[in-house]
Amino acid sequence: MTEISRRAAIGATLALPLAAPSLRAQALTKLRVSVIPVLDVAPLHAAIRHGYFAAEGIEIDTSTTAGGATGLPGVVAGQFRMAFTNTVSALLGVREGLDFRFVAPAVRSQPNPPDSMAILVRKGSGITNGKQLEGKRVASNTRNNIVWLRGMAWIDKTGGEWRKVNAVEVPFPQMADALAGGQIDAGLFSEPFVTAALQAHGDKLERIGWFIHETAPASSVAQYVAMKEDAERNAEVFERFARGLAKGTDWVNERLGKPELLELISGFSRVPVERLRDCAFTVYVKEVTEAEIAEVIATMTKFGLGGRFPEPSQLIFRTAKA
Amino acid sequence: MRRFTSGFWLILALLALWEVSARAGWVDSPNWPPLTHVLAALLRDTASGEIPMLVGSTLARMFAGLAGGTVAGVAMGLLFGASPLAARVLGPTVELVRPIPIPAIIPPLVLFLGLDNGMKISIAAITAFFPVLTNTAQGLRAVEADQLAMARTFGVPAWRRLFLVTLPAILPYVLAGLRVALALALVTTVVAEMIAGEQGVGHYLVLMQFAGRAEEMYAAVLVLAALGYALNRGFLWLERRLIGWFFATGRDG
Repeated sequence: MTEISRRAAIGATLALPLAAPSLRAQALTKLRVSVIPVLDVAPLHAAIRHGYFAAEGIEIDTSTTAGGATGLPGVVAGQFRMAFTNTVSALLGVREGLDFRFVAPAVRSQPNPPDSMAILVRKGSGITNGKQLEGKRVASNTRNNIVWLRGMAWIDKTGGEWRKVNAVEVPFPQMADALAGGQIDAGLFSEPFVTAALQAHGDKLERIGWFIHETAPASSVAQYVAMKEDAERNAEVFERFARGLAKGTDWVNERLGKPELLELISGFSRVPVERLRDCAFTVYVKEVTEAEIAEVIATMTKFGLGGRFPEPSQLIFRTAKA
Repeated sequence: MRRFTSGFWLILALLALWEVSARAGWVDSPNWPPLTHVLAALLRDTASGEIPMLVGSTLARMFAGLAGGTVAGVAMGLLFGASPLAARVLGPTVELVRPIPIPAIIPPLVLFLGLDNGMKISIAAITAFFPVLTNTAQGLRAVEADQLAMARTFGVPAWRRLFLVTLPAILPYVLAGLRVALALALVTTVVAEMIAGEQGVGHYLVLMQFAGRAEEMYAAVLVLAALGYALNRGFLWLERRLIGWFFATGRDG
């Protein structure tokens, strides 16, 4: 092989992976969606794997961010067409004047226990309610999100004054160690970290409540959010997304507790299947209702996150309605 | 074969302490797995090809950034040396921007450059730019005036003086800057991967952390340690080959 042709061959090999995606993109409309690797995005991955989006002529490119909060800012900046986000964070953006719209449903809390979020304390601490948590350190993964809001609501409901609680931020992966080690007095956990904490420190930790289910059963937890302008201008793209996602939701709901679903979730989250088997799941839903958004806004207002919000009916794009 | 130094034995002792502390339950947490489990995970994900792929992609981004940042740093350094006006105008800005921790500017870079290669390569480039720039500027002051004057006397044109006299003379300084940049660029590239996107060792590390798989997470940490060490050793080897004359004149000590 001469030097020139070898160079050309190497050049072509290097250029191939760069050229391939753009060729594919001509066939399918590509949508970039920000997600977090949690059980709640199982329908999205099911729809990708089983070709429900491809059947709608769209290709979903997920961008997983485990720790950071690049989702909503990324939607505003145009890096993502959509972000999977908890309802409170989305509504706080709306309150600050960002034109977010709920374009597709995701999950609600369970109507009956077990729920996917739980408050854990150390065994022997004697803490069983919010009243006893006054002056104590209570951890949520982030302040001012759905976990924090429902945690404060649980403290309020069980007789505590939420303003007297010392709320601290601890990432989910470190929460169990921080609680067992005594750095915090209670943790607001989400699955699969509830199961992991009880498996690893079952002798030291115990669950004293399902804080979302007990304060707001079957309430709004998370949705897919896009910018209003994009949703209105490209409504047809979001309709196709919602249709594909709905099929993914059906697929998941038909396989709750089955190995197929656990393997799917383990595939994208890398959580071992053995742990997922013991996890409590959220409820995968197919619509966002005005009532559930109104309830979140009312609860936010009660716990210091109030402000001027548009009517819930305006915030829910038609693709997310039943 | 060279005999093992006491430093080597210390590393072995620390690794043994890791294994024992996890096995004996001195640290009671699944986030402190025994070293042998970590090594098993490392072996598994290396054999599956996942870790080699991730390391390759992280290194590709890091080296692309290093190359860009080095070229820009040398160019800017030469400009500073050639034009006192440029140094006066741009100097304060460079001095203000230089101390900013690179991870702090990742969010705005995400805004402007997105979450993929463009942003991460830029991070590595910015990391490399400043140490190379300062060292280039310093190297220029060390170029011997006699050499330049002689070249001028012999009628060597300016652009050839640059390549024949100035650049070889400042090479040791540029390489010293590059060595600093190399260590920093690995850090910042991985941090950028941890914050955004689904790429490289950094993303693997965070994903495994959130999946509660401490073995894989520490495997990534071990990979990064080995990578940092190997890069530095490789660089020293390259430096000896490129600028042996510099060390031969005894100017390194």
